[in-house]
Amino acid sequence: MIYFDNAATTRPNGEALKRAAEFTTELYFNPSAKYGGGFAVFKKLGEMRDSLLKAAGAAGRFDLIFTSCGSEADNQAIFSAAKRGNAVTTAGEHAAVFSSFTELKNRGVEPRFAPIERDGSVKAESVLSLVDEKTSLVSVVHVNNETGAVNDIAAIAKAVKEKNPRTVFMSDGVQAFGKLPFSIPSEVDLYAVSAHKIGGLKGTGGLFKRKNLSLTPYIFGGGQENGLRSGTENTYGVAVFAYAAELKFRTLGEDAKRLERYREKLFAGLDRDVFTRISPENGSPYILTVSAEGMRGEVLQRMLWDRGLCVGTGSACSSKNRFSRVITACGYGERVLDGVIRMSFSPATTEEEIGEAIEILNATAREYQNTVLASRA
Amino acid sequence: MEKVIIIRYAEIHLKGKNRGYFERVFANNLEKALKGIRHEIHRTSGRYLVAAFDEERTYEIMGRVSKVFGVHSYSLGLLVASDEDSIFEAVKEVAPQSGTFKVETHRGDKHYPLTSMEISARIGGRLLDANAALKVDVHTPQHTVYIDVREGGKALVFGMFCNGVHGMPVSTAGRGLLLISGGIDSPVAGYMMAKRGMTVELLHFHSYPYTNEAAKEKVVTLAKIISDYTLVTRITTVSVTHIQEEIHKNCAAELNVTLLRRFMFRIAERVAAHVGAGCLVTGESLGQVASQTLEGLTSSNAVVSLPVLRPLIGFDKEDIVALAKKIGTFETSTLPYEDCCTVFLPDFPAIRPKLSFIEEEEKKLDVDALVEEALLTREIIRF
Repeated sequence: MIYFDNAATTRPNGEALKRAAEFTTELYFNPSAKYGGGFAVFKKLGEMRDSLLKAAGAAGRFDLIFTSCGSEADNQAIFSAAKRGNAVTTAGEHAAVFSSFTELKNRGVEPRFAPIERDGSVKAESVLSLVDEKTSLVSVVHVNNETGAVNDIAAIAKAVKEKNPRTVFMSDGVQAFGKLPFSIPSEVDLYAVSAHKIGGLKGTGGLFKRKNLSLTPYIFGGGQENGLRSGTENTYGVAVFAYAAELKFRTLGEDAKRLERYREKLFAGLDRDVFTRISPENGSPYILTVSAEGMRGEVLQRMLWDRGLCVGTGSACSSKNRFSRVITACGYGERVLDGVIRMSFSPATTEEEIGEAIEILNATAREYQNTVLASRA
Repeated sequence: MEKVIIIRYAEIHLKGKNRGYFERVFANNLEKALKGIRHEIHRTSGRYLVAAFDEERTYEIMGRVSKVFGVHSYSLGLLVASDEDSIFEAVKEVAPQSGTFKVETHRGDKHYPLTSMEISARIGGRLLDANAALKVDVHTPQHTVYIDVREGGKALVFGMFCNGVHGMPVSTAGRGLLLISGGIDSPVAGYMMAKRGMTVELLHFHSYPYTNEAAKEKVVTLAKIISDYTLVTRITTVSVTHIQEEIHKNCAAELNVTLLRRFMFRIAERVAAHVGAGCLVTGESLGQVASQTLEGLTSSNAVVSLPVLRPLIGFDKEDIVALAKKIGTFETSTLPYEDCCTVFLPDFPAIRPKLSFIEEEEKKLDVDALVEEALLTREIIRF
């Protein structure tokens, strides 16, 4: 099977799993325990934290709080930083940010949503025009998870800070971390990441926090993670995360270049009468979103699965939530929204797979046209 | 003193010489419903006792009994020797700690030395002496303690009646095949027929890849919920994907649903023969959707010779919803997985399709081959 749904989750990295296995055998101790075994695990946890900070180019400037997922990291950041006035985000955010902002309304903070462009990116002016002296938080997704559009968060953060230096700036970096060559800019205060998008395991995430920025805990308890995230550390998950990231970062630049070429090759091979491109050309090399206009993405997705190609989708057959909120915000009509499919890659993606995928996609779309669209005229 | 669950049955007493048969089936159904829990079932005149059961699972047993058709009412009670002291000890267990009460006695054993009134008076008097916080009120008591003196020196003592689901024991009224979708209506239709004693087999049509696995899983969940009532634990599924595609490609769009339903009925008749069902059952309700008009129903009936029972035909949606909530299928039925993808839905379905027009359109398809082909996709899921 050709797996092109890596933005949903990736296959865990086998080498990382093997290396981390000691945390399930010898090193099973609680890192808070005060005897030798506990201390050994505690020390290793510190090393893994440092290695991830280094990978993000954030060593010395940032702390890293381990969480149970990217969504938790987003929630922790938002509900800790948006305590008064208003909070600004974009219409192109992942649900973990978008729904948290909607919830802010119930907590007495006014949420503001900046419109996005047709490719899913947000213009700095759109964000800035919503920022005022009462803005406590601005959140802008780094890579749009549905279109792959990349936002220049360094520039936006800088502009936000110039307008209101007291505003906290956060970014959901789940689709960027370990994929784009990048180090967290100093204007960014909080940066949320997830392990299972880069070969780690589900159940592990992290929040990079600028040093000296004070946060309130989201989960209270035994005071782990400097009191910011209680609960016994997921040592195995963190280890897989750190080792997978280490491997990922080693070839990050080459991977991005190669996948960009693959992405363009894939799109170039697709039947233009059927597929419309939604992803921008300067977006993440890891994501290509297209629409098979007039077809149902979900049906196409299952037909592709049966033919050995696994892709993501932006629509559902269900009448509730039929269309993707984000792609709708990009300004497309129903026919395009219905047919949205997302192909997302990993460094394991091969050029042969791209070639095969092109054939499967074109043939399946033709079959769909012949059976469903070609009704008695 | 032994804890027992007393079960009284509903319409069976109306049966004359066939009563023995109904009682045997009813007892058998109780056994099936309580499968997996330690218990014994005893029959005494006019009622059943569940005894020697796992007391930690008392409420689970009562919950299961509450779903067995034919149960008129049931009570959690105590089985004791019928001497006055033993009855009094049991009454003390069952009686309230305060408030007003009365004792009501039924005397099945006509040789018992005291009359019903005398038993009630004596036990009530002793209860009053024992607990000053109690008062007698024979007209509108807050609590009633029931004593049932049986033959063989035994008595039953209990504090309340719980209502059963009534109806007739399933598998006393033939076998039907229910066309079950993931919607609200069809599980309710199956419940209604099972309530009249029918054994309700299940058939579900899917159209993967236009519908998804979650939709099929939802139907299995619904089937499991109604199996508490119907005691049937299997479902047949058939794919109508190719049929839908062929109709869509070749026939008038407004007849899409009408034609599909005719195919479903034809396939259902074949599956019915396979599972030994003597009728089809659907959740159709007159006028609810375009295919459920008199003309729509007529066009489906025209392709089968088995009777088609539609227990919900005269029900309003709200009545069906109320029943679905009562039997516990509503929440599952309203999950957002659709059993029929809107891909093939016409903008304006025909409301009053003429049979001649339908038959003319249908001639464009190889009906027999499509039915045979669909039957090859038959799967039986047991749960």
